[in-house]
Amino acid sequence: MEVNQETIGHLAKLSNFALSKEQSLALEGDLRSIIGYISQLDELDTDGIEPTYQVFEMENIWRPDEIRPQEADREQLLALTREVRDYQIKVPKVL
Amino acid sequence: MTKYIPTIGIECHVQLCTKTKLFSEVDNDARGKEPNSCVSPVDYGLPGMLPRLNQEAIPFAIRAGLALNSQINLESRFDRKHYYYPDLPKGYQITQLFHPIIGEGYVELPDGTKVRVEHAHLEEDAGKSTHESAYSLIDLNRAGTPLIEIVSMPDIHSAAHARDYTKELWRVMTYAGVTFGDLYNGNMRFDVNISIAPEGSSELGTKTEIKNLNSFRSVERVVEYEIKRQTKLLEKGETVIQETRGWNDATGETTGQRSKEGAADYRYMPEPDIPPLRLSADDVEQARQNLPKMPMWYRQQFAEILPTDLIEVLLDYPQLMRKLAELEDSSAIKKVANLFSSVLLAEENTSLLNDELPSKTQLLDLVAMNTKNELSSTGTKEVFLKFFDPEMHYKDTHTIAKELGVVQENDLGALEAIVDAVLAKPETQQAQADYKAGQEKVLGFLVGQVMKESKGKANPSSVQEILRKKLQ
Repeated sequence: MEVNQETIGHLAKLSNFALSKEQSLALEGDLRSIIGYISQLDELDTDGIEPTYQVFEMENIWRPDEIRPQEADREQLLALTREVRDYQIKVPKVL
Repeated sequence: MTKYIPTIGIECHVQLCTKTKLFSEVDNDARGKEPNSCVSPVDYGLPGMLPRLNQEAIPFAIRAGLALNSQINLESRFDRKHYYYPDLPKGYQITQLFHPIIGEGYVELPDGTKVRVEHAHLEEDAGKSTHESAYSLIDLNRAGTPLIEIVSMPDIHSAAHARDYTKELWRVMTYAGVTFGDLYNGNMRFDVNISIAPEGSSELGTKTEIKNLNSFRSVERVVEYEIKRQTKLLEKGETVIQETRGWNDATGETTGQRSKEGAADYRYMPEPDIPPLRLSADDVEQARQNLPKMPMWYRQQFAEILPTDLIEVLLDYPQLMRKLAELEDSSAIKKVANLFSSVLLAEENTSLLNDELPSKTQLLDLVAMNTKNELSSTGTKEVFLKFFDPEMHYKDTHTIAKELGVVQENDLGALEAIVDAVLAKPETQQAQADYKAGQEKVLGFLVGQVMKESKGKANPSSVQEILRKKLQ
């Protein structure tokens, strides 16, 4: 996989990051070496092998359908956001 | 001129009516509740929070799958779909991309057309955004509500079938009891994919996707509009762009929103927080036994008894269909179905639909009294309405009819006595003479006198019969 400034720009856009030129260049180098390292795995033949979903071999982990009091209430949770209006989270216009 | 054939696939999101959300232990029914009042740290995606799967969502999903005539996949897994949008604070949605719980199935439309279901999967809903002119507001009450997303095959080729498919899906899901099915509150939402191609072409055209429709009518209008828009483009020699378009119900138009992200842009990965599901054949069998009767069953059941259009109207109300099926007797079903449609579905009475329906015995007694002419059709409706009166609903049919004073007197002996009394009255002598002299019309006057004497309880046709005999 080729890593260039275009790749970094695309990933930054998907992740909603505003990157400076220096950051973008530094990330290009870092990402290229990470991808290069991981690419060693391409030597292996993985055809027909199920991806590893998890390593604990657990299944059917669930909880009963019962409402429980929460450790944090509405006010505490809203307090974590930058701006609130009428108990709603105010964000920059998205549409 | 080239004829274009539309090809339509529909994705439908169904909110499940479990008590709690899919991965957090807070109230899932936020109807009428304050914004951000049904939320937990898990819904906020706070660091270190571990989502835990709601056990009840599994039988709900299996039931939904069976209602879609689908194969249930005994092994299924969850995946992360990443995108940054403020209505989804943790930056990804937990969904099932690679191993969904519901496999291939189909939905049969009222006209017998089958629309195949490609698969359906469990996922969490995002929060609700309200867009103001300068900012957007986010309510996370809906974030984490369990959804079943039903993905159809591109088997639909007209606006009418698109509408019929969404309506039938709504019916099937409400009959299965997996959702409140409240479209106004967004319990079911539809994304429509549509392309057109010249007739006979082996390749499909470029498709557009119109997201977040919440009524059957808007699905139909969107398809009509897009067929026209795309046809115009192609006829002008232009091309259709693959994009997501928004629907404006007020203007009746779609407008371009954004070019669609490729699947790779969502950077799907196996969800490490939720271990896979492994169901047993027994789990599926149990759900099958708990699955209520589906709309198609009622159509077949009543096909010989009720007109098709009446069946289709009543099918919108599962409780009415179930009550009719309880009655078993076909003439009773016919009479009660007519009462349902003429009384309950009348504009002024629709609030009664939220009340408990009359019992089988009450209804069968009502039908019997009507058949025996003990109740006129007006009297029958009056008694029927009283079944919904909080003061009356627990009483039996005969008691209610008596209290209302609408029981018709059919006892010939008693009726004869009343007729005799009327005929003995001086004020009826002239009429009697006129009738005997050949004036048929005065019979009406005499019937009226008898009705008055009986305080309206006499059955007019019996009265007429007795009068004719006596005045021969």
